[in-house]
Amino acid sequence: MPLNRTTSGDRWRVRPDGPDKVTGRLPYLTDLSLPGMLHGRVLRSPYPHARIVSIRTEKAKAIPGVCAVLTSADVPGLNRFGIARPDQPVFCEDRVRFIGDAVAAVAAETEALAAYALTQIEVDYEPLPVVDDPESALSPDSVKLFEHGNVLHRSDYGCGDVEAGFAACRHIVEETYSTPRQMHTYMETEGGLFVPEPNGRLTVYAPTQHGFMDRMQLARILNRPEADIRVVSSPIGGSFGGKDELNVQPYGALLALACGRPVKLHNSRWESVRAGLKRHPMKITMKTGTDEHGRLLAHQVRIVSDAGPYSTLSAEVLNFAVEHVIGPYRFGAVKVESVSVFTNNGMSGEFRGFGGNQAIFALEGQMDRLAEKLGIDPWTFRLMNMRQPGDPGPLGQPIAQTDGARQVWEALADCRLWKEKAAAGNRSETRPPWIKTGYGAALVMHGAGLGVGIPDPAGGRLTLAGDGKIEAAFGYEEFGQGLIASLEQMLIEQFGFDAQDLRIVIGDTDAVPDSGSSTASRATSMMWQALKRLHPPFATALRKQASRALGVGMEKLVLGRGGIRDAESGSLLISYGELAKTASEPIVAETKFAYPTSPVDRVGAHYLYTYASVAVKVEVNTLTGRVKLLDQFHAVAAGPVVNPQGYLGQIEGGSGMALGFALTEDAVMDKGMYLTRNLDTYLIPTIAELSGGFEVLPIEELPEGDKHGPRGVGEIGSVGLAPAIAAAVHDAVGKRVNKLPIDPALLLEKPVFLNKAVEWR
Amino acid sequence: MIDPKLASAAETFTLQCVINKRPVSVDVPPAKRLLCILREDLHLTGTKRSCDIGRCGACMVLVDGKPVNSCLTMAYQCQGKNITTIEGLAADGALNRVQKCFLEEGGYQCGYCTPGMIVTVTALLNKNPEPSMAEIEEALSGNLCRCTGYGGIIRSVLKAAEQGGRRHAGRHESA
Amino acid sequence: MVLRHEEILQSPSVWRPRTPEEAVARKRALGADAVFAAGGTLLRTRWEAGTEAIPRHLIDLGSIEGLSGIWLQDGDLAIGALTALDDCLNDPLLGRHAPIVAQAIRTIAGWSVRNVATIGGNIVSRTGDSLPALLAADASLVWIGEDGERTEKLADWLSEPIPDRARVRLLAQVRIPLGGDDSIANAKRFFAFHKVGRREAFTPSLVTVALCGSLEPDGRLTGIRISAGGGQTVPARLKRAEELLTGRMPDPDALGEVYEQVAADYAPAPDPFAPDMYRKLTAANLVVTELWKLTAAGEAAGGKEGAPCR
Repeated sequence: MPLNRTTSGDRWRVRPDGPDKVTGRLPYLTDLSLPGMLHGRVLRSPYPHARIVSIRTEKAKAIPGVCAVLTSADVPGLNRFGIARPDQPVFCEDRVRFIGDAVAAVAAETEALAAYALTQIEVDYEPLPVVDDPESALSPDSVKLFEHGNVLHRSDYGCGDVEAGFAACRHIVEETYSTPRQMHTYMETEGGLFVPEPNGRLTVYAPTQHGFMDRMQLARILNRPEADIRVVSSPIGGSFGGKDELNVQPYGALLALACGRPVKLHNSRWESVRAGLKRHPMKITMKTGTDEHGRLLAHQVRIVSDAGPYSTLSAEVLNFAVEHVIGPYRFGAVKVESVSVFTNNGMSGEFRGFGGNQAIFALEGQMDRLAEKLGIDPWTFRLMNMRQPGDPGPLGQPIAQTDGARQVWEALADCRLWKEKAAAGNRSETRPPWIKTGYGAALVMHGAGLGVGIPDPAGGRLTLAGDGKIEAAFGYEEFGQGLIASLEQMLIEQFGFDAQDLRIVIGDTDAVPDSGSSTASRATSMMWQALKRLHPPFATALRKQASRALGVGMEKLVLGRGGIRDAESGSLLISYGELAKTASEPIVAETKFAYPTSPVDRVGAHYLYTYASVAVKVEVNTLTGRVKLLDQFHAVAAGPVVNPQGYLGQIEGGSGMALGFALTEDAVMDKGMYLTRNLDTYLIPTIAELSGGFEVLPIEELPEGDKHGPRGVGEIGSVGLAPAIAAAVHDAVGKRVNKLPIDPALLLEKPVFLNKAVEWR
Repeated sequence: MIDPKLASAAETFTLQCVINKRPVSVDVPPAKRLLCILREDLHLTGTKRSCDIGRCGACMVLVDGKPVNSCLTMAYQCQGKNITTIEGLAADGALNRVQKCFLEEGGYQCGYCTPGMIVTVTALLNKNPEPSMAEIEEALSGNLCRCTGYGGIIRSVLKAAEQGGRRHAGRHESA
Repeated sequence: MVLRHEEILQSPSVWRPRTPEEAVARKRALGADAVFAAGGTLLRTRWEAGTEAIPRHLIDLGSIEGLSGIWLQDGDLAIGALTALDDCLNDPLLGRHAPIVAQAIRTIAGWSVRNVATIGGNIVSRTGDSLPALLAADASLVWIGEDGERTEKLADWLSEPIPDRARVRLLAQVRIPLGGDDSIANAKRFFAFHKVGRREAFTPSLVTVALCGSLEPDGRLTGIRISAGGGQTVPARLKRAEELLTGRMPDPDALGEVYEQVAADYAPAPDPFAPDMYRKLTAANLVVTELWKLTAAGEAAGGKEGAPCR
């Protein structure tokens, strides 16, 4: 049944954070201000690559109203940050490696004064040659960004003998796929408020996807105990992976401590573009072959990923891509080589889909090309080569078995859009001859969780608080996905509570347990797991307390709306408020566990997967080469739907983002400089791109005995659309797309009515 | 040394206008952006800052009933005008029809574009109670949303239009 | 250093003259330190991007009476330069007498920007997307300067290589001739405007083309005007393509020649997001397709007169 408000019935709920969002009352962290606060600004490099000869801050410091001017000399702890490998300078000492590199920061009485003070910091640079192409960065005679060279990370995988495999192939397709430097374009740019507290602690109000990780990194930079820092990190005006890494936090924290006053920072869009992360541009070369029946015999892949100048999570993204270029298919033999390369381009990092988007665009492109060579329907070709129940994962690792791949395959074959495609072949179109329509589809297998070898903690806490509220505390973040709503819905549906009984506490390191990061499609999954673990002890503790207070046997008591109720009649026996008063101390249940991983020794290999299939209909205007998405169908096999509104929103939203990846978005750089500095040239989809049909079919059924419950859907909607569009474009005009965003010049056709051969030279 | 240009007090003027039905009088530089006046001087932070160049619509307000990007509007252009921000749409505490529909249909996620979006939709439906899909696209193409893919937004707008009284044909529903 | 906030520089003084003459005198007195401001949307965008410094003085044209509104005068449609783009769109006179201009304005920015931005601002930017349509409509500009009022053809002004910055004048009106189409019995007037960008809506243009003319009862084309612009291109008429078509039927031979001529003569200013060749061929495609729609085959294939090519 398609997912929408009607089919969801009562499970479609108004989000608890909704009323404050539709009225503008919700204070985002960049909306906060305090009396006496200062304004912070960061001085960033004007060069993509240069030696710093000298930095003189005296002039800036002498301006009345300027309270602090900081450089690398003022960092008490580690002058570096980076979630996985801290190699990005908080302040550059002697060299800048990209256009967003920070050199100094100021705090001043007004924003204008802070901006003016930046102009009075004197930095002498000696420009260095710019390394802007990852391929040439790998050549031995390239300028090196670091002493150890320009290779950030290599990840290879092999299975079987590909040479022998290719020798036995009847059909071989070889292609290189390129993907753009996509920008997250969260509507709220980075920023926050940094407050030195009277007791000597520091409170950081700044969006992030993992408050505890920020706290750890800030403690390392500030050389202070983690306990001295409180990170408040929700609500967030969008993140999509882009705010997981530190951004303004080091500068706000250092400035606030240096001045002893609150400091506010809020990036302009241009500063966000130049300093922020982007999706890794990748070049993926694939050689894939089949026997005469269409059985995949060999698959050889080379991935070159542009990491920009520092590590952040580039190695992890590359590992993910290696896994996902193999995907849901059985190959006789596989050989993958990949490298993530340091360049003087913008910083690349975590972004919804995490390397899967690039990998699957390439992989699905190969499937379509091979099917064409074989003369087999491309969807059938996928089924012929699909991994079967019991098969290991892409890296040969044990995985949690589901029938997801076949389920989404069948759902697509049976969907309205695919039937329309079949019917369209027999119908003459009534459109103008320059409008060509086509249909395409793609299959997605996407890993969730951080994978083998990366700490992936989870946990949560339920408390009957002194005021009678059931307090659910989780270390997750609300960046729009509806995490609070999902948590509320699970507590209501699994425990029987009423929304009024609940207080949800997230995004505050002083108040929540470390539940790990809100990333990798893991938060919903881990909240479900945590509640499953917490249910028996917490319910028992509440019933036991009620039994004591009421003098009624526990077996006669159940949790319900408003309080403990009679198991038979359902009548309210004692409210949670009253129950709390009878307890000498709060009733607490807490759990700690970790995201499930595969028992292999392959870093990053995943254990839980979500599957999706995507079908689209597009229209190509051959006069202009422009592609318009008309209709889409998504089947998603991710276990039970926890929150219908959130689920639908994730697939619709992810798909919208993927449309930009496919058609309009690229943060174009020229010699290390961004050409797209704001939303006038960096073009994300508008409502006019996305007003077509849309259907989501969730496949909730899991194998009997599955212990893992709902899988995350935060990323998977953003993955399959681009390859489906590429296939549909081919269906429409017979041209293969190997580069995103799709170049309209490729699809331009001279009108057929110009029957006289007029060639443009 | 202070830049003399900066040190000399900028010529201020008194902006007198009506904001959310209340008369406002505030001394500001005449070219100060309305966005900053709202957020900094008047602490009306429901109007959001995002692109600063009128391309995203997060800072949308109504000036004499028409949607305008407050980041592009200077103080002197607001003199004597009637301005409505998101805070003014539910002035008496009751949500307006558009806000209710966004809430029920889930026409928002992170919520950062939502105030601007709701301001524009309110203006659209005031001007054109039964907009076609093409008219909705035209009216809202200056309000970017990165979270929803616009699905929930379109459903919210159609529902608000439908509740506006007359019957509405509706968007092609594929179910 | 990128200039970012207005406060980093002095906040400009704002002058609010009541008459065009007063505005011109003020500009003359303040010289390069002053800038005329209408809606201010483009200025603000440029200041924010750091491509233009915030001036010391703004001369607000918004309080001058008589510079906005749309009316008929001396056989022309007169559009006050200070008329907001959205007001142009909603104006029945403009809709009736210059639908091609309305079609172009509809593609400019978004609703909220069109509520503030003016037709005059779009014109004086010299790259505004209304310009190809105004060229096709054979528009003239009415300036008010120190030497009084002067009218010149839009095409002439746009073909000036560098506008004389020392000349102080402001744009008061744009005039569109109502045209003698009624006098030509049975001639079929046609027009079309296309904007191709990198997105469906609210997009910078890569290619804009506008064309209008008449199809005589004998099937021959007359009064053809074709113009093209896009991005940072200063739009221009494509005279050789126009000449080539005049008096001919839109048969495959003629269309083939026009295709080549448009591609050869349309010279877009370089754009980092699209190669020139794509823009030339797109312009050529759109122009010949509009002409083809005039033929029996074109009409039969669903090409509706005056409708966009999609």
